[in-house]
Amino acid sequence: MSSEEPAIVAEHLHKRYGPKVAVDDVSLRVDPGEIFGILGTNGAGKTTTVEMIAGLRRPGRGSVSLLGLDPRRDRAKVRQVLGVQLQESYVHGALTVSELIGLYRSFYPDPRPADELVELVGLEEQRRVRFEKLSGGQQQRLSIALALVGRPRVVILDELTTGLDPRARRRMWATIERLRDEGVTIVLVSHAMEEVERLCDRVALLDAGRVVAVETPAGLVAQAGTQNLDDAFVALTGKQLEDVG
Amino acid sequence: MSTVIEARRPGVRSWLTLVGCEAKMVARDTAGLVVPVFLPLLILVMSARSAGDQVVAGELTALEAYVLPLVLTMVLATIGIINMPSFLAYYRRTGILRRLAVTPASPAMVLVVQVIVSVLQALVGVAGALAVAFLAFDARPPADLGAAVAVYALAMAAMYAVGMIVAAVAPTPNSAVAIGLLAFFALGALGGMFGGPGSLPDAVAAVGERLPFGAAVAALSAAWVGSPVDPVHLISLGVATVVGVVTAALLFRWE
Repeated sequence: MSSEEPAIVAEHLHKRYGPKVAVDDVSLRVDPGEIFGILGTNGAGKTTTVEMIAGLRRPGRGSVSLLGLDPRRDRAKVRQVLGVQLQESYVHGALTVSELIGLYRSFYPDPRPADELVELVGLEEQRRVRFEKLSGGQQQRLSIALALVGRPRVVILDELTTGLDPRARRRMWATIERLRDEGVTIVLVSHAMEEVERLCDRVALLDAGRVVAVETPAGLVAQAGTQNLDDAFVALTGKQLEDVG
Repeated sequence: MSTVIEARRPGVRSWLTLVGCEAKMVARDTAGLVVPVFLPLLILVMSARSAGDQVVAGELTALEAYVLPLVLTMVLATIGIINMPSFLAYYRRTGILRRLAVTPASPAMVLVVQVIVSVLQALVGVAGALAVAFLAFDARPPADLGAAVAVYALAMAAMYAVGMIVAAVAPTPNSAVAIGLLAFFALGALGGMFGGPGSLPDAVAAVGERLPFGAAVAALSAAWVGSPVDPVHLISLGVATVVGVVTAALLFRWE
């Protein structure tokens, strides 16, 4: 794989649920080693888009290529190199942090050491605690650790730090930066502008299922002619919302 | 990074780890353990004394001819029809199957492992019931042990197949328990769980005998007393297995 070849190419993705169009002609290219943000209002189609990229949902139309593989046809290969943290996902509730990490490690040929994973997300004190007894933030952190178990080359994180306290959030950011240094490609779905500004090389802004801009965070601010990313987000999205009233 | 990406399926170690994890899930679900292990034991203890006095044939009593087949069938039915579907529905509802779908483990692995763990659980229930029957009530082993084991294995397949239908059609974990309980009591009642088939109208008893619960009790009873197993019961169990597996395969949803 040459370094120019993109890690992810999504072309003309469409998805509708009944009459509702969730994703409408989304095309994205993510370079290897890049931290690529996906921003957008609630219901803009972010999660559906990343679920199609991860091969969890079949696109109505369009195609996805991940490291040159088709996430649905080449499922078995893609699972070796892709780590996914899903927004609403749960694991075996009665198992402890250590047991779950052990279970997920067993799925991969060369998993990250359990100690490293626990340390990466700061759950050293909770190793023997059952998943169902963890706080929401701790569950979220475990879910991120489980996405990193198999030393993925591409990681999709849906709402990385939602529900985390500021300390845990900073720790996650450091973890993401460490992954970037390892050359991992990261797709980050986020609502947190501070996080996007700090971490993302480029950002796709989705609105009502369409890509309205792909830019660096600074580029988005410039394009919107605003003071900061928050304002740029507001200026560039929600057109449809206003149209409908 | 020009490494070739290889598809690797999880190996034996992974299967064993998953079996261990699922077994812990089952063991930590205390309520789920009570029904398959203690309910049949309760029935056994309550009816063993009087059944042990009713001689059916030779040295065999109603304990071997009727109570034990019923109790052992209850172990299978509670695990297969009530417990396993509720676990699978819970896994689906909470996104566990979906989470596994993005790892090299397939959600189908969970299905298979659930069956394995359910079999282990059934063996615990059977061991408990037989220990009490043999040690406390002087029950005799089946006259035709081979037939009894074979019938029991087939009955297990049939019960799990019925459970798979429940898991496939139940939209929520709650409804899985409700549908599972209904199916269990319906099949059980028709199969003589509340008084022998003799207490049911002939037509109803005939139907019940062709459903998995009644067929399992009747076939197991025949094997225990050493009379030939009626092919009708074996066919009924076989048909239930096939119908269950096919229905589940067509209807099962991962999310």
